[in-house]
Amino acid sequence: MNSRRVFITGMGVISPLGSGVTETLESLKAGKRGIGPLSLFPVFQDRPLPAGQINSEVTGEDVPRSHRMALIAANEALADTKTPPDAIVIGSTTGGMLRTEELLKEKNTDPKKYAWHATGSIAEYLARKTGCTGPVLTVSTACSSGTAVLKIGLELIRTGRATTVLAGGVDSLCRLTYYGFNSLQLIDPEGARPFDRDRRGMSVAEGAGMLLLTGSETIPENAFAEVLGAGLSCDAHHPAAPHPEGEGALKAMSLALEDAGLGPQDVDYINLHGTGTRENDSSEAKAVAALFSGRGPYLSSIKGATGHSLAAAGAIEAVVSCLCLGHCIVPGNAGFSSADESMPISPTMANHAAEVKTVLSNSFGFGGNNAAVVIARPSDIAKHYSRDHDPVFTVRGLSCITGAGDLDKSLAALDSGSALTGLLSLDEISAKLPQKSVRRLKRLPRLALTLATGAHEESARNTPPEGICFGTGWGAMSETYDFIMKLYETNEEFTSPTDFVGSVHNAPAGQAAIWLKSTGPNMTMTGGDYSFEQALFTAGLVCDKGGTVLVVGADEYHTEFSDLLDGSVKAMSQKSDGGGALVLERGGGDGVSVCVPFFGCAEPGCIETLIHAMGGADRINGSLAALFVGIPASMKNQGGAQLDEFIAKTGFAGHVIRYREFLGEYATASAAATVLAASFVRTGAVPKLPGAGPFIIDDEGVAMISLGSHICCIELR
Amino acid sequence: MEDLIRELSRKIIETLDLVDVSEDDIDPDGTLVGGDLGIDSIDILELAVMIEKDYGVHIEDKEVGEKVFVSLRTLAAFIKDNSPKFRK
Repeated sequence: MNSRRVFITGMGVISPLGSGVTETLESLKAGKRGIGPLSLFPVFQDRPLPAGQINSEVTGEDVPRSHRMALIAANEALADTKTPPDAIVIGSTTGGMLRTEELLKEKNTDPKKYAWHATGSIAEYLARKTGCTGPVLTVSTACSSGTAVLKIGLELIRTGRATTVLAGGVDSLCRLTYYGFNSLQLIDPEGARPFDRDRRGMSVAEGAGMLLLTGSETIPENAFAEVLGAGLSCDAHHPAAPHPEGEGALKAMSLALEDAGLGPQDVDYINLHGTGTRENDSSEAKAVAALFSGRGPYLSSIKGATGHSLAAAGAIEAVVSCLCLGHCIVPGNAGFSSADESMPISPTMANHAAEVKTVLSNSFGFGGNNAAVVIARPSDIAKHYSRDHDPVFTVRGLSCITGAGDLDKSLAALDSGSALTGLLSLDEISAKLPQKSVRRLKRLPRLALTLATGAHEESARNTPPEGICFGTGWGAMSETYDFIMKLYETNEEFTSPTDFVGSVHNAPAGQAAIWLKSTGPNMTMTGGDYSFEQALFTAGLVCDKGGTVLVVGADEYHTEFSDLLDGSVKAMSQKSDGGGALVLERGGGDGVSVCVPFFGCAEPGCIETLIHAMGGADRINGSLAALFVGIPASMKNQGGAQLDEFIAKTGFAGHVIRYREFLGEYATASAAATVLAASFVRTGAVPKLPGAGPFIIDDEGVAMISLGSHICCIELR
Repeated sequence: MEDLIRELSRKIIETLDLVDVSEDDIDPDGTLVGGDLGIDSIDILELAVMIEKDYGVHIEDKEVGEKVFVSLRTLAAFIKDNSPKFRK
């Protein structure tokens, strides 16, 4: 058990309000608005729509704009420290999309050019630049990402998994979001006017915000602020629109305050999500009014000044919250001029000097994903936290989809000596889903929903899962590709709003939440080949309210996109996709137990660290019947050498099963493999697999070892 | 008008991939949104794109959309009044 407080000891920001904390503060004080007609890329409209664009040059290496912005902000946040952070948690919704769009436009088919497409590649880039070797995680929960990362960072420190965490969010403007939000009629042609009577929508924006979180029992000298708590929730209501009464928003705020050990009366200022859309602002206003009876805190949204930078917004607003604390300023709600009589709240119109000790900052997004964080001036009175370093879960439900079908069919195929590679048809994937309800869903959400409902059904629970953690390497490729293609085919005149809503990485998890009525934390992790591992690891950090958590990993194969993006998929002539889902109950008990003793980057000495985290060679040999090893084809040399080193250093003589050989190559193959392995441990019998078996598992367990650029161990016993 | 209603009915089913719905199942005067057809706000936006693309009529915002998408007949009337296709 650990007992640590979490402080913000470094900050970096780049936004339409300027580059760096100093410039941002000056812009805020001057009441500057950074919204103007988009000029970053040519648009085929009579007049470009207003957007929050960074007009100074975003310089850096030959990486996409979002990666450059992330590094600029990260360098500022880390300027005063010489040591790399222990962990990195980055939120992004579009990753290198701006570059990918240009490549697709010129019909470029060189996979090397797409190397920075993934949302997860930003965190990877920062890890490389900063020398971080610990957990590197990517959150893609749409517009709540930039605040959700702070919850993960907070828990990484509270659990003792890290002492310093670089947490932040980034998104650059791109066609997908510019045209996408416009197709939903959510763009205000006058520029965002949050909470104003005449508001007509948001202004899509770009930027990056980065915070260095540091765990300490005492207040560090360089602390800007303390992160007291954070809360995550899900509306489980609609893929794109917020709950009309703000139920999810209220839950996130309440959980954040509870986590901070504070009551509503302790909050001096709320940095509202306030995007400027009619629906968001009205539902958020209701939630805030429900939380604060009587005279509430100061309220404002800064999105009339910055625009809405999606995954960056929450992190940028956390930086702004720290500035409010440090400089006794409540920023005015830019763009607000006439009060909306139907609103139960009234934001602060102009900048206001006030003693601000505690700020609550909100971020809500598509998929009904909500996050709120409490940031305060460090004070002598503070709650200390205790968390398990290694949370253990017990398996309550399993489901998987492979080229052979569901879990039963996959096990039967293994029994008959067949591989599980290949692709099911769309109808086969969603055979158990009501066709009317899934008509709008393409391949990935259908995979995820079938997995989620399958595992939940097998768990025989009549209560919804408390939380859902979803991992996907590439997200909804079909929706994303179709959106961009339709845009180009119509000379940028038409797009599909349905595809836009479906293109966000967290859409499948949001759908699962609606189906299962799961209103707790709803996280989508997008870390390439380690996305499922990240989802499971994150479940241990953010799902601790009891009940069950549904952990899902899934990826789709896409005929045009997959070979461009995923080198491992390209390497195989037979294409495969699918995934797995587990319903897990926190704590031990009867049944198969699951824990994640290690998650980190590949670096010299990492295999020894892994062996140590797994309890050393004696424990590994004495308690594990088999290793299920995941080495992506694109990293076969690196992963092969790591496996050889592991075997040599432990002398492990048990079975070693390389599951991608029979599951095929796709980013979340580890999810299907983990489900199969859990079912083997449950029955105690492993069928004949390529390279091993059949064999019996008695009292031992098995370990899922993911190798390559990252190293992860999941133990099942 | 009846021809346009029929044509729109077919296009709606196609655009929204409506399952087990035939042209005759959509009552020209019945509620288009939120009824048995399962059409919601995202579908309406998708239909707005289709109508702009196929008929050259721009449905500017939600307020206009709410009036236009009351029923198949109101939609057809709006298109007839505003589309260059039907201009005399």
